[in-house]
Amino acid sequence: MNAADLHHLSAAYALDAVDADEREAFEEHLADCEICRADVESFRDTAAGLGASLASSPSASLRDNVLSRITATRQDAPITGPSVIGLDAARRRRRTAWVAGLAGAAAASVAAVIGLAAIERGSGSDPFATELAIVMEQSDSQVLDLEVQGSAQGEFRVAWSESLGRAVLIGEDLPPAPDGKAYELWLITPDESMAMYVLDPAGDGDVHVALDAPAAPAAWAITVEPDEGTPTATGEIIFVSNVPA
Amino acid sequence: MFAVAEISLSGDPHAGLAARAAQGDESAFAGLYDLLVPIVFGVVARVVRDPSMAEEVTQEVFVELWRTAPRYDESRGSVRTWATTIAHRRAVDRVRSEQAARDRHDRDGRETTTTHDPVSHEVESSIDRTRVRKALEALSASQRSAVELAYFGGHTYREVAVLLGVPEGTVKTRIRDGMIRLRDELGGEQ
Repeated sequence: MNAADLHHLSAAYALDAVDADEREAFEEHLADCEICRADVESFRDTAAGLGASLASSPSASLRDNVLSRITATRQDAPITGPSVIGLDAARRRRRTAWVAGLAGAAAASVAAVIGLAAIERGSGSDPFATELAIVMEQSDSQVLDLEVQGSAQGEFRVAWSESLGRAVLIGEDLPPAPDGKAYELWLITPDESMAMYVLDPAGDGDVHVALDAPAAPAAWAITVEPDEGTPTATGEIIFVSNVPA
Repeated sequence: MFAVAEISLSGDPHAGLAARAAQGDESAFAGLYDLLVPIVFGVVARVVRDPSMAEEVTQEVFVELWRTAPRYDESRGSVRTWATTIAHRRAVDRVRSEQAARDRHDRDGRETTTTHDPVSHEVESSIDRTRVRKALEALSASQRSAVELAYFGGHTYREVAVLLGVPEGTVKTRIRDGMIRLRDELGGEQ
């Protein structure tokens, strides 16, 4: 199962509608994918809403049984640092810079805004999270990790919807561009390379941008260009990935 | 205590009890049990379909909630969602390990060919039932049957594909689109 398939498994996963192998693969993926974590969180809330309609009572003796068992059950030690939501994933967890950077307040606000996107779309306090939610709600949404080239540093992930014509780009741990240079995002079709955005990584190396995606991409790439940007790519490609057919 | 005050500001009615239970407070956990047992048992009973097995699984779920309470992270979802997630997961695990899949397929195959309402025979919270029924009505019939077979039936999407006689990819899409629609209709955590 490739990454594109995994990204669309979040609803089935949240409903426990995947088999054991897929569960394991998806939980490994979750550790590294902010978008799917937010999706799973909101779908679990929705599933709990469904569950509320099933409320019913067991026999009264169950309470005593539970309470006597917990007195004999040692609690787990708290986890220090960011937690992972995959129930069975903790021991497989691979902490990456991506997770470390995004597992805190930013991830929580993305989850909250995605949950509320339908009723408060546009009025959220985090416009980027709202954009992300809207893109991911499209049935044709796709997500792609851009592959790092050579000795470049950082990570990029792009999500887009062709029907919507919008894309969001998330970058992490980017070193500053060389003096007089900037990173530039390209949407590559079979016919042309379209200059999309000249990145201005904030001081902490994070990039969160939403932009128009006027054509169906065959690939996404990031190059190093003069800092005013350029309509035609001239510099070194530091990240690129083909869109799976 | 700072942590408790901070958590209760989040508006989660269970957060204060969960925070105390996380520190080993058994009476707080008893309070949590009383608040959560209707939804936990309800979900488990719906999926495993056997009252005595449902009680067994419910007991395991609460022991797991107690054991893992110190690791509960409120930024990942409400206490109710945490408990319901574990309840559904353990119920599904039990059903699948019981190898009863074939019988359930046959039963569910019949159920989905009728206009049977999957939630009507449960009692309690009529407000929740009404909200859920209305939300489910907003789905297309094909989305609704896929979501119901997955969540209420405890089936994998592959099993749902066999039950409905449609390709697996179609089922995945129906589940995803159906859940997005439900998320809109239910408006997230209540």
